[in-house]
Amino acid sequence: MNDIVSRYLEQFVAAGPDAGAAPPWLREQRDAAMAQLRKHGFPGPRDEDWRYTPLKPLAGKAWETAATGAADIGGIDDRLIAGLDSHRLVFIDGVFSSDLSTTALAQEGISVRPLSVVLREDAGALPDTIRGGIDARDGFQALNIAFARDGYVVDIASDSKPDKTLECLFIAATAGKAGQTRNVVRLGEHASASLVERHVSLDGVDALVNCGSRLLLGAGSSLDYHLVQTMDSGVNMISDTEADLGADATLRILTATLGGAVVRNNLQVRLNAPGGHCDMLGLYAATGRQHVDNHTGVIHVAPHCTSRELYKGVLDQRARGVFHGRIRVDRGAQKTDATQANNNLLLSANAEIDTKPQLEIYADDVKCAHGATVGQLDETALFYLRSRGISADDARSLLTFAFVNEVLSEIGVDALAEYLGEGLARRLIQHG
Amino acid sequence: MLSIKNLKASVEDKAILNGIDLEVGAGEVHAIMGPNGSGKSTLAGVLAGREGYDITDGSVTYRGMDLLDMDPEIRAREGVFLAFQYPVEIPGVTNMYLLKAAVNAVRKHRGEAELDAMDFLKLIKEKAALVEMKQEFLYRSVNEGFSGGEKKRNEILQMALLEPTLSILDETDSGLDIDALRVVAEGVNKLRSPDRAIVVVTHYQRLLDYIVPDRVHVLAGGRIIQSGGKELAQELEQKGYGWIEDQAAA
Repeated sequence: MNDIVSRYLEQFVAAGPDAGAAPPWLREQRDAAMAQLRKHGFPGPRDEDWRYTPLKPLAGKAWETAATGAADIGGIDDRLIAGLDSHRLVFIDGVFSSDLSTTALAQEGISVRPLSVVLREDAGALPDTIRGGIDARDGFQALNIAFARDGYVVDIASDSKPDKTLECLFIAATAGKAGQTRNVVRLGEHASASLVERHVSLDGVDALVNCGSRLLLGAGSSLDYHLVQTMDSGVNMISDTEADLGADATLRILTATLGGAVVRNNLQVRLNAPGGHCDMLGLYAATGRQHVDNHTGVIHVAPHCTSRELYKGVLDQRARGVFHGRIRVDRGAQKTDATQANNNLLLSANAEIDTKPQLEIYADDVKCAHGATVGQLDETALFYLRSRGISADDARSLLTFAFVNEVLSEIGVDALAEYLGEGLARRLIQHG
Repeated sequence: MLSIKNLKASVEDKAILNGIDLEVGAGEVHAIMGPNGSGKSTLAGVLAGREGYDITDGSVTYRGMDLLDMDPEIRAREGVFLAFQYPVEIPGVTNMYLLKAAVNAVRKHRGEAELDAMDFLKLIKEKAALVEMKQEFLYRSVNEGFSGGEKKRNEILQMALLEPTLSILDETDSGLDIDALRVVAEGVNKLRSPDRAIVVVTHYQRLLDYIVPDRVHVLAGGRIIQSGGKELAQELEQKGYGWIEDQAAA
């Protein structure tokens, strides 16, 4: 794949410095990231973290990062979630579109802006963790840092709460393009917010989405974060989310994957101070030859924190799933309470799941539990439903839906839960 | 209404039913009794369309239709109901949802309008009262965490809602205390009518004190070896199954 890296390098040089005046630290970051990519390249099949996921769709060609100026895709009405009253930023191929977004928020203590605007007008406002030296875990993140020119920056001041759900809608619209974005969400002390990050695409587009998000939760703050992937079957995606929680902060994070070709989600949560709690929820429904890979990790740095992880997946036809859940409990993190579960339903003999829990515990007074299951629909339950007049197809959908409902019912944004429920039902009936 | 002729069925090459002949007319209640392993539950399962049985011979005609040729859901929509010996727990599906889906599937099949939420709620409250089921059970997952008696009541509630033409009760009395037995039997008796038939499959006679049958059949070795009136059930209760099996073997 060396020639792919050289082609990215050509693109990098051709793009020149950022439009407008990019701050020097960012130029340095981009150069360093590009250097890292040249040195180490993309991950290969021998990397333990990538053993089960095909790299060719992600790194087999040099996707072109969209230039500034969002492509015109007409309207977005048919891509909105019914009943979701949100403040919305829209990005086309990773580039902010002010035309399609709602007007700026005028609520005190709440700032929701595109990264391109922040870099141009207010780069000093970005947190140190963004402005510091780069720490790209792999080639895809390096690529993201080298090329991303947009994304969202959310700042919620202490004791503040947006009066609406915040929604960031990313649309892959142009074949062959890479939408590369960097996002930051920062909550002050006792602030709270609910955010929905959605990825969709135009029909039939083959594209790459490569995004990185940093979530910074101040003491006592609370964030409901939803990553929703419903792209068409030609879109490959890598998401990389890192969260840092302060004392008594609560993060509830959902990763829902209903679409895409090869999708890889990295999620890392660090509980840095006592009293922190995170719920990590996952939902994936894959069919055809879709591939969904969730690599999750929670690091208990501080004592008296709790984490709970529940990922549920339904795989049909030749779909493949990967779940890797790591719980690390550091030496000082006594009284940790961590649970993890990954349950899978295979609807076809050709579907496959590789699930792997990994516990690293360096403290001696902790509670950690994990479990993984793989199963099929219960035949006796199917017969029971059919014997009550419900058709075989409906009975299968109903049981599948019941399986994922445990996750759906925990989603705090009702309109989103309904949207996902309908999306799941459609997928399951279509392929049932 | 139901005509079974020389029905033979096997499970994994083991013959379970060895030529059953049975005629059940409209308005009648038939009891099928027999020792464990006689084929009672297999007969009930075959009639409802459970998978896993090979029908090797014979026929079953229900209201002029070839029952064995129908999918389980079509049988249900045509008015066949099986009350399960072991009702299935379905986590994540509320009882209410199942009941509404079932009622509307049957109504749609009959060409009737589907019930809306309000009409359904009214109907279900009425029927739940009939089997003395608390409202909270309607909103819980189907049979999940229900006691044995609650599960059986739930079966009868479904039966009351679907108003089947042919009901098959498979060991509905097993695991019931006397109060639950009475409630369940009352629910069944309310459904008795000149145009409906009920087949009660049971090991013991006690249920038949409450649901009084017109005919009693003794099943042994996959065959009906004796038929009679309700007094046959009492005789079985006193003498056990041994004498009748000996008589049939002689």
